Amino acid sequence: MGTASVQLFPEFISETLGLPGVIGEVIGALVAAAVVGNIVLAFTGVAGPWAKRKITAAFTDRIAVNRVGPFGLLIIPASAVQLLAKELIIPEGVDRPTWDLAPIVLPASALLGFAVIPMGRLGPVNLQLADPEVGLALVFAFASIASVSLVMAGYASNNKYSMLGGLRAVAQNLAYEIPLIVTAMSVVIFAGTLQTSAIVGAQTEVLFSVAGFDVPTWYAFVNPFAFVLFLTANMAEIGRNPFDIPEAPTEIVAGYQTEYSSAYFVLFYLGEFVHIFLGGAILAVTFLGGASGPGPESIGFLWFVAKIWGFFLFTQWARSALPRVRIDQLIEIGWKGMLVLSFANLVLTAVIVGVIA
Amino acid sequence: MIGLMKSMATTMKHALDGSTFTVEYPEDAPDVSPRFRGVHKFSQERCIWCRQCENVCPNDTIQIVQDDKRNGEQYNLHIGQCIYCRLCEEVCPVDAILLTQNFEFTADTKDDFVYNKEQLKNVPWYKGIDPLESRNPDRGAWIGEGDGEVDYQ
Amino acid sequence: MSLERPDTPDDATIERTPDELAELLGDLVVGRDDHRNAPGFVIRPDTVQQTLSRLKEEAGYDHLSLVTAQEYENRYESIYHLKKFDDPTQEVSVVVPADTDDPVSESGEPVFRTADWHEREAYDLIGIEYDDHPDLRRILLPETWQGHPLSIGYDKDRPQIATLPEHANPLEDHHRDAESDTMFLNIGPHHPATHGVLHLKTILDGEQVIDVEPDIGYLHRCEEQMAQNGTYRHQIMPYPDRWDYISAGLLNEWAYARAAEDLAEIEVPEYAQVIRTMGAEMCRIAAHMLALATFALDVNGDFTATFMYAINDRERVQNLLEDLTGQRLMFNYFRLGGVVWDLPEPREEFFSKTRDFLDQLPGSVEEYHNLVTSNEIFQMRTIDTGILPPDVAKNYGATGPVARGSGVDYDLRRDDPYGYYDELDWDVVTEDGCDNYSRLLVRMREVEESAKIIGQCVDLLEDWPEDERNIQSNVPRTLRPDDDAEIYRAVEAAKGELGIYIRADGTDKPARFKIRSPCFSNLQTLPEMANGEYIPDVIAALGSLDIVLGEVDR
Repeated sequence: MGTASVQLFPEFISETLGLPGVIGEVIGALVAAAVVGNIVLAFTGVAGPWAKRKITAAFTDRIAVNRVGPFGLLIIPASAVQLLAKELIIPEGVDRPTWDLAPIVLPASALLGFAVIPMGRLGPVNLQLADPEVGLALVFAFASIASVSLVMAGYASNNKYSMLGGLRAVAQNLAYEIPLIVTAMSVVIFAGTLQTSAIVGAQTEVLFSVAGFDVPTWYAFVNPFAFVLFLTANMAEIGRNPFDIPEAPTEIVAGYQTEYSSAYFVLFYLGEFVHIFLGGAILAVTFLGGASGPGPESIGFLWFVAKIWGFFLFTQWARSALPRVRIDQLIEIGWKGMLVLSFANLVLTAVIVGVIA
Repeated sequence: MIGLMKSMATTMKHALDGSTFTVEYPEDAPDVSPRFRGVHKFSQERCIWCRQCENVCPNDTIQIVQDDKRNGEQYNLHIGQCIYCRLCEEVCPVDAILLTQNFEFTADTKDDFVYNKEQLKNVPWYKGIDPLESRNPDRGAWIGEGDGEVDYQ
Repeated sequence: MSLERPDTPDDATIERTPDELAELLGDLVVGRDDHRNAPGFVIRPDTVQQTLSRLKEEAGYDHLSLVTAQEYENRYESIYHLKKFDDPTQEVSVVVPADTDDPVSESGEPVFRTADWHEREAYDLIGIEYDDHPDLRRILLPETWQGHPLSIGYDKDRPQIATLPEHANPLEDHHRDAESDTMFLNIGPHHPATHGVLHLKTILDGEQVIDVEPDIGYLHRCEEQMAQNGTYRHQIMPYPDRWDYISAGLLNEWAYARAAEDLAEIEVPEYAQVIRTMGAEMCRIAAHMLALATFALDVNGDFTATFMYAINDRERVQNLLEDLTGQRLMFNYFRLGGVVWDLPEPREEFFSKTRDFLDQLPGSVEEYHNLVTSNEIFQMRTIDTGILPPDVAKNYGATGPVARGSGVDYDLRRDDPYGYYDELDWDVVTEDGCDNYSRLLVRMREVEESAKIIGQCVDLLEDWPEDERNIQSNVPRTLRPDDDAEIYRAVEAAKGELGIYIRADGTDKPARFKIRSPCFSNLQTLPEMANGEYIPDVIAALGSLDIVLGEVDR
């Protein structure tokens, strides 16, 4: 049973600044949230304009951005300026303010999810904003607000392609949220808690040793079947190949974001990437031991970063190789396959845990 | 599942071998075949103003203006309209018009692509390749020209 | 030789002499107008259906290859070029004259579905009206167009207004229809998956397509008229490259070369035929690689690696073609009576480059099978979607990989031999799946067959005695085929049967130049494949048809 005895990031800040009481809590929370939020946004900033291009290029035998700055890294500000400087086209007949809110809801929901993610230690700092008892439930709740944003965008755009994209997004999220959460429940049964730090804490023991190398009790190793299920449902949840059907550029142009340009488009783009990273973070917390890894605990954050970037890489890899499934096939896989399997997994885990405990 | 694995393994193999097939264009200009057909180069010294190129051109890209004694005055060629079929070079009896390997040309408006004889003369060789020399072994395009009516002008 | 087709002698394949055919048609025939390629029977404009169905049912002419329309000084004329899928060398032309003042002719559509679009085009460009046609509208030009551009009296200076009424929302009605729960959706003309400017008018029920109607003509460039303004000898040859511009240039040039050479009775030296065969098959590989690449793009989504790998392989072929012809897409390499250039010097280098490519190709194809065809999701997406049964394919005049993917064993390279194909060892590829997957598989296997052909051509060219390397025959500088000589000749292009009809009028330019575009006929089958399927399957079916709008619209 992990406990919340470790000092959280906001408390650390208020203590360092020497601010006591409510003011300290508020300032600590705000500063900490700003730091974490900026870290995540910095990731997406690197991922969107640069890393994604480089990764895709590597898979397709191309060179990609290399002109602006070292390794083309300055393409990041260049792209940002370019995207933001474009005209914001507001089509006739859009349903405002729904249309304006949708691009804000998406990144906001994904960013909120990071509030309860234990991102590990960097030196003396424990990068976790909050650690409520129901952390895992909270993170899923935040993450699924994203689909509301997609429906809003799809419905408000007054565009048939957007509409189809929005509807697809709902159908897909309904079909995959349940297996996702049910599979996560099996982890909760193992760990005996919903608290994210405690789930990570339960994955630090040694499962078995092979040739002097300790395999930790990451739930990915304890229950690889659940891991694969979770990974698949997660891909669908964040809408990446082979489940990128809400966007499906060759079928419905760009789905729910067809009518968005300039800053709104950037927000959507950002939101999607934050969502990928949040998906990676959830995966890391529930199945990959959070911030744990070889070396001292004080570099745990680096391991955490490596894990979520690893997940990002995986999404891009899948994208280079896998075809997109059709909407009816997707629903079928979701309801007839994943749901059944995830419940089977849950029951089995419960029985096994019950017998052992 | 095995098929999915195979697909993903294939792309990963390509990602890891590090080879690229695109090139960094202006620094790494591609080699073109000696037969490649780019912008025209015109030589007034060689031209005998027979107007065969103007005649054979499939889409009226070449315009020749002569004075009343049939001396050449203007030789205009719209390189933006040209379809690079090389028929003008083929018919030219004196190699006055050649298609260089040069494919790099720009202009601000479509009209700027109408080259007069001076501009055509100043078209540079691509990488210093003279098409006359480079195509020398295969310049026999008109071999087998038949006994039929020959329609000069 | 593997080119023998399995023998199934029945009524349909029995060859009939022109006189026997005339006897079969009896008093339907009012005259004869024989073409170079086929006997031509003149019939009355109100007996078209009767004649066509008698030829189809009783004589086995089950392939309406092309409908040509033209205007003479004293009459209009529609020509139905009929063939047999089992033996395309058996051809017959049905010539239907119509009155100048009242050009009405019976439609052949009830007998051959493919006549639908062909007759619409004839109506659009020439102005013949087809009685009993289900949907006689303009097809290439805008609906507001005045006059028929290929008719004799057409006033080309008359201003045309071809815009939609300002500010009117053309979808308003569909939008507000309270009665039905379907949705009208425009896919294209600017859509990521239409491979050019194609407009699909789609009616959706949820995600399912209940009706789709291709709207073409956005890329109409008057290719036929341009050919009619060029001289046979030189000026037409650069243009075929631009019909199917997906590097299938040499295949297209061959279509014109074959028709014009047969019309003017020009012999082509054997050496040039081998070079032509090799170059054409290189083009086929390049074209099929792009078909594979874009199909992967449609099914996998953008960022798929398959696209770039296939483009990479295509680049290799294009490098070879550049060495051979001097250009990567618009080759202009064929000349009437041969080719313009011999193989590039040094020849050994060209041969070794070609062989390197051929050696590397099986590895690439293996890779595509790993990436695409063996992928379970891909199979899930493409198998049993976009079904095109063989009899429907035939009825619509589908040819090429589309027909062969439906098990129609029809390939002009074998069935109506030209070039050097009948001397070489290769197989016609067919698949019986009738679905998107089969059509892709046919293309991928055809790439391997093309590689076999190229390999044999390289061997032949290498051993060719130096003093017999004749690349062009003796062709006069100005060609003037006989007045009123008519010919229809087709070759197997990348997308199917690419045919050219030429009527000469004694000058050095054709009086009528008609292109039978395989994509035009193939695209007609789209509603058959798409109705009842989901949107993604329509996109996949469209991708598997592998149309090039430059060739559809000409």
